[in-house]
Amino acid sequence: MKTSAKRGHRSRIALVNAVPVTVFLLVLFVYPIIGVLSLSLEGDSGGFTFHWYIDALSGVNLSVLLSTLRISAETAVLSLLVGFVLAHAIARMRPVFAALAMLIVVVPHFISALVRTYGWIIMLGEHGLINTLLTSAHVPGAPFSLLYNETGVVIGTTSVMLPYTVLILQGVMRGVDGRLLAAAAGFGASRLTIFRRVYLPLVAPGIGTAGLLSFILCLGYYITPALMGGDKQTVVAALIDQQVMKQDQWNSAAAFGVILLLLTFAGLGVLGLARLRRKRTHQRRSSS
Amino acid sequence: MMELPPTRAGHIGRALSASAILLFLALPIVIILVTSFGADGIGTFPPQEYSTRWYQQMAAPGGNWATSIALSSLIAALTTVFSLILGVTAATALARGRLPLHAAVYGLVLAPMLIPQVVIALGLFLFFEPAGMLGSPLAIALGHTVLAAPIAVLIMISTLRGIDERLEDAAASMGASRMTIARRITFPLATPGLIAAAIFSFITSFDEFFIAQFLSTPDTRTLPVLVFNALQFDVDPTVTAVSAVLIALAILALTLVALVRKLSGHRNTQGGVLPVEPLT
Repeated sequence: MKTSAKRGHRSRIALVNAVPVTVFLLVLFVYPIIGVLSLSLEGDSGGFTFHWYIDALSGVNLSVLLSTLRISAETAVLSLLVGFVLAHAIARMRPVFAALAMLIVVVPHFISALVRTYGWIIMLGEHGLINTLLTSAHVPGAPFSLLYNETGVVIGTTSVMLPYTVLILQGVMRGVDGRLLAAAAGFGASRLTIFRRVYLPLVAPGIGTAGLLSFILCLGYYITPALMGGDKQTVVAALIDQQVMKQDQWNSAAAFGVILLLLTFAGLGVLGLARLRRKRTHQRRSSS
Repeated sequence: MMELPPTRAGHIGRALSASAILLFLALPIVIILVTSFGADGIGTFPPQEYSTRWYQQMAAPGGNWATSIALSSLIAALTTVFSLILGVTAATALARGRLPLHAAVYGLVLAPMLIPQVVIALGLFLFFEPAGMLGSPLAIALGHTVLAAPIAVLIMISTLRGIDERLEDAAASMGASRMTIARRITFPLATPGLIAAAIFSFITSFDEFFIAQFLSTPDTRTLPVLVFNALQFDVDPTVTAVSAVLIALAILALTLVALVRKLSGHRNTQGGVLPVEPLT
């Protein structure tokens, strides 16, 4: 009796406490996004139109969208590769070094992306540290142009996304049961085979999550592309900023916003489906 | 994890690649710190001559930088208050209670972390512009709370989950009222989490660029907006000193969080403080 009274009391308390955040986010998050959606479907003189979407998906606008997708994909792949190497190394370090390495991964994450981007700008310039080093080492072709082009943008955004991928991969790698690998070795599998057939499948979910997450986060990212990309390298978020701040093209900006939103939902949907499938396989295995 | 005996070549290869990647993460920050003490104004590295003139220029009272630092601090303080209120209540509902529609509320709380910030910023612009609230510190703080509250909620959820409920039950069985339990048991145990949530809300707001950019007017530019403009248009060398201060602030904040957690006997310093956690 007493427990059910406690339960009833708990759900009342929970309901009351859930109100502030729900109301706040409905008013200042959901409602404004609905505003963006309705603006993107509104003609110049009111009424319903797909004009802004057609406009966003043609000509120069389409090429901005495509280059945003390309930069996001490049960043996702690169931060996944680099993140995998680092996470894998950290997983095998002695605890003291591993903790130190994680510190170097996590601390930059909390330092303003603006500041880190500025650091890259100083480093990658024609007379920056990297080119000075490469030139004095007589690397052929140096100095390279590493700034105000796509190379610069991808280097910069990768350094911003890297903490996410390392943390996610660290999580799954720590969960890998070393006995499985040892067992495979006991049956005579080579290192490469163990890596490919045992280790990779075990960490695959983390790879998928980390890659998709950095892709999604890149889609709407702005600071690094805007500062390191120069005039030609516009991304969707920069275009939205320009359209609102300089050209008063709100409907068009809204249409781009909704396109970003749909792409994000698509990515999250893939993540959710993959998780659901894994869960189902687990259940089937454990029930049989 | 991997319990296979390491090979020597593999060991060296891993150590080298890991060091290179860690350097890749740390170098931009080190470069800024060193450059900020350079006497010439063009951000050469390493500087020919050292001075603190950019720091003096930044701190000059009444200047652009000092004004925007004050504005950003005010907005960040407001954001902290808002997101602590939302964080504590929401975490109580999500971590402790039996909440109907639990998944829906949890999803709503996490959504602002994943939705492109430019869309949130545009939405808030459309929301505040008709109300004539562009440039209002309150509007910017409310906007920042959309991003900071989810982090505060996650930290508070992991804090509340870490508190042994039997302590509260024990107090209740000895006749303590709900108020007394909250005041004497739950609150003291949750304090480290509260401090962490406050610090992360503060930095989230202090560093936030996009929403501030959309909601600001030329008279009310937060520090990140000013830094962004300085980097994009002018070559105001003061920005190196400002950046160095932002770095110092972030490191100070993280040290504080680690310290509080250590003093309160928390083992896991990373648990619940990173926005990536719900996704793993």
